[in-house]
Amino acid sequence: MIQTNELTEPTMTQEAAKFSVRNLRLAYGESEALKGIDLDIPEKKVTAFIGPSGCGKSTLLRCFNRMNDLVDSCKITGEVLLDGENIYAPQVDVAELRRQVGMVFQKPNPFPKSIFENVAYGLRLQGVKDRRTLMDVVEKALRGAALWDEVKDRLNDNAFGLSGGQQQRLVIARAIAIEPEVLLLDEPASALDPISTLKIEELINELKDTYTIVIVTHNMQQAARVSDYTAFLYMGEMIEYADTNTLFTTPRHKQTEDYITGRYG
Amino acid sequence: MKVTSQLPSREVREKRRRIRSLKDNTSRFGITAAGYGVVFSLALIFVYLFYEVLPILKGAEITPVAQYDMALVTQEEPSAQVLIERYQELGVNFTQQGGIRFFHLDSGEERLHTQVSLAQADTVSSFAAAESLGGLVAYGSASGKVQLLRPDYQLSFPNDQRQITPGIVYPYGEQPIQLDPQGAAIQHLSVQESTRGRPAVFVAGYTEDQRWLLAKVSTRENLFTGRATQQIERSELPHFAVEPRFIRVDKAFRNLYVAEGSRLHYFDISQLRAPKLIQTVDVGEEITALEFLVGSVSLVVGTETGGLSQWFPVRDEQNAYQLEHIRSFKQHPGAITTIRPEYTRKGFLAGDSAGYVGVHYATSSRTLLLKQMAEQPIEKLAVSPVNKAVLTFSGEQVQYASLWNQHPQLSFKALWNRVWYEGRSDPEYIWQSSSGNDEFESKFSLIPLSVGTLKAAFFAMLFAMPLGIMAALYTAYFMTPKLRGVVKPTIEVIEALPTVILGFLAGLWLAPFMEHNLPAVFALLIGLPLLMVLMSFLWSCLPRSLKRLVPAGWEAVLLVPALVLFGWAAVASSPWVETWLFDGSMRQWLTNQGITYDQRNALVVGLAMGFAVIPTIYSIAEDAIFNVPKHLTQGSLALGATPWQTMVGVVLPTASPGIFSGIMIGFGRAVGETMIVLMATGNSPIVNFNIFEGMRTLSANIAVELPETAVGSSHFRILFLAALVLFAFTFVLNTIAEVVRQRLRKRYSSL
Repeated sequence: MIQTNELTEPTMTQEAAKFSVRNLRLAYGESEALKGIDLDIPEKKVTAFIGPSGCGKSTLLRCFNRMNDLVDSCKITGEVLLDGENIYAPQVDVAELRRQVGMVFQKPNPFPKSIFENVAYGLRLQGVKDRRTLMDVVEKALRGAALWDEVKDRLNDNAFGLSGGQQQRLVIARAIAIEPEVLLLDEPASALDPISTLKIEELINELKDTYTIVIVTHNMQQAARVSDYTAFLYMGEMIEYADTNTLFTTPRHKQTEDYITGRYG
Repeated sequence: MKVTSQLPSREVREKRRRIRSLKDNTSRFGITAAGYGVVFSLALIFVYLFYEVLPILKGAEITPVAQYDMALVTQEEPSAQVLIERYQELGVNFTQQGGIRFFHLDSGEERLHTQVSLAQADTVSSFAAAESLGGLVAYGSASGKVQLLRPDYQLSFPNDQRQITPGIVYPYGEQPIQLDPQGAAIQHLSVQESTRGRPAVFVAGYTEDQRWLLAKVSTRENLFTGRATQQIERSELPHFAVEPRFIRVDKAFRNLYVAEGSRLHYFDISQLRAPKLIQTVDVGEEITALEFLVGSVSLVVGTETGGLSQWFPVRDEQNAYQLEHIRSFKQHPGAITTIRPEYTRKGFLAGDSAGYVGVHYATSSRTLLLKQMAEQPIEKLAVSPVNKAVLTFSGEQVQYASLWNQHPQLSFKALWNRVWYEGRSDPEYIWQSSSGNDEFESKFSLIPLSVGTLKAAFFAMLFAMPLGIMAALYTAYFMTPKLRGVVKPTIEVIEALPTVILGFLAGLWLAPFMEHNLPAVFALLIGLPLLMVLMSFLWSCLPRSLKRLVPAGWEAVLLVPALVLFGWAAVASSPWVETWLFDGSMRQWLTNQGITYDQRNALVVGLAMGFAVIPTIYSIAEDAIFNVPKHLTQGSLALGATPWQTMVGVVLPTASPGIFSGIMIGFGRAVGETMIVLMATGNSPIVNFNIFEGMRTLSANIAVELPETAVGSSHFRILFLAALVLFAFTFVLNTIAEVVRQRLRKRYSSL
């Protein structure tokens, strides 16, 4: 709505925007899931989307790598600019876009392959065949995802042998192996135990020096801990968007305050 | 505020718990019982099949029944031949002096004693017996005459008791035939009766003055007067100075064999006026016995060291016959003294000087039994016409024994190896189980049937596998759900189509259609896939604005008119193509290229059975692909994979257990399928993989032959063996499929 535009302005001036969302509307058939979103995602920062279930935060996240294209009845209007280019322009290569914008899902989804092959999968898609290059990249990615020490002796084991937290870090390793610019994390820790969650959060902290990270979470503490900026969504609208400190300490909107203090959601 | 419980009372809950546990236990027990029941009935089928097959593995058995003094039977005259009558009540002994004695087999008691009728003052000088089945015997006389006679049994049933009255008949007249016009004594004699065409007897004799005489005696009955006139054609071999031990003439009167020392001389006497020596083979050892197997094509040669071998003339490339050594049988411990062929099979019994009796079978090269029956040499041997009794003369003793020799035809070698059958130029795989006459050699090779089964399944899978899997991939992964909701049930309905209808259509409509439209068939087989690729290429070249008009996932519908149009064009242009490229007929053109073309061929079967198998493969594979978890495909897509890369890299490996099991179940179905192959293959049991020739499968063979075979016969049992082989085929296939599927599933588990 009108107020949200005012609110986003300060962030825009402070940081270089990686993504800019302009009047994004998305409907699944008749029901509108996003009702005109405008926001900028700053580069190499962690931006968190919070909000109650069904508020559209995951849908919004999926607009950044066009995963919503896979849903038949989905209609999108408006623009999403990645470095100033509209990713919904007809000439955009979706596969290349998704290489640039990696994504990690709520449920760890390693492929039924070995640990090595999981991480190498994205590279093989890009046509990398040289075993040594693959090995280097896999090691780097696994180190980047803080998993290397745990799996270096069993790279050829099936990835399903890993614990849930390890699987999630493997999936992150798989995503960063193809050198994306942005990482979209869709509730990456919601299916994990507290220790694994902690590890993922630490990992996010390390990764934000290299990548622009957008994280969806319904865990407000997590948003407060890991993110630099937070957007609060409600019923397909963006209610408030500010740096995390501000949003959690002095929310401008009643709805935001109610949500973060646990009145609903 | 008091909270009132909405739950039923304690007692009611207790009662319901009991009912629940009763239901639980009943269903647990029921399901377990049903499961074991399935396993048990499967095992029972296997056991039953095996039980029916088992007797063919058994050898022969001889059980002594009676023993008595030989003098009773022979009355001091040496025996020339002994025969058993069909009901195994009486035996007949032809002595070398012309005495004929019928006697009771179990006691040796005389039933009838008579003498061959010869002119007064004429004496018997030689004896010969034709093929046992006809029972004709001949005595040669010192005056160059030959008397033909046959033991005859009259059957009557006074007081409902079977009574056999033996006698002697002279089918060619009581007057002996003058074989040697010069009247020299006949020292060696051979006789055969023709079983084809007009009644005729062939006689070959060797006289004391070393002449070789041949005669063909035929009778013709006057249609009006009913009087039989006898005609004798005589001929003489050119001078041939050997002293024969045996002479044997065959019943076709084409071949004459003379054994002398260790040599076997082979004459062609088909031109009665110009007989000629073709070949002399050296067996290597002294020949001590020589006999034809039934049909008088094969000779069995017994030697002084106990060796037994089978020989018959084989046609070579120049169309000339050469006597060939076909196979040897198990060595006897003593010199072979006598060989008796079975009446209606290619088996024989042999006796030797060590008192052993061997039961052998030619086709299967089996020696079913080698048993010592006496201490002294076996002099004469008789086997009953139904192979159930044996009579041996040895020393002073006659032994009567019962024989069990039901299934000598089958051996592993005869079933699975090349076998040299009578009259063939090479060892071959042949399935030819029965024929109209008794001399027929059953050819029970399972290779043609197994190859046929695999061939039919192979061509069906060649057609069904790519189509089924590709269709499954497309519907499960690319097609819009709406269209999928129509396409999938439609294909699955095809599975419910009775295969007899498919077979009927394939045999009576598709086969002739394909024969007349061969170019169209090939154009379709090659052109349709190319057309689809071309269409999709053209589609990708279309401007985006046009593509928008077709919703995603519905593109395939656009193909339909193109395919129909192409099909019509191919069929319509077929006659023109034949005229332009194949001189008017592609079938003839193929034949000219040296490719045999049968109307009912593997291509027809491949299409028809492929059509039956597609739904099986499609349905299972489609479910497997469709059930690949969405988070896996999304994970792949999110890594920048194209849909195609995702399918190859993630969907296919994950769905592979399902796809694999679909293929294997489809293959199992193709192997076991009966009606389609029965009606569309032509059922010719040939061994090749030519797509334009037919085949006969194990299942179709059982369907064709089982209703016509005698229960309990070797043929019957071998059909059960074929069923067992088929069962083993599908069992092994399904087991492999299941093992592989389990492995794959384990690998792709926890999804």
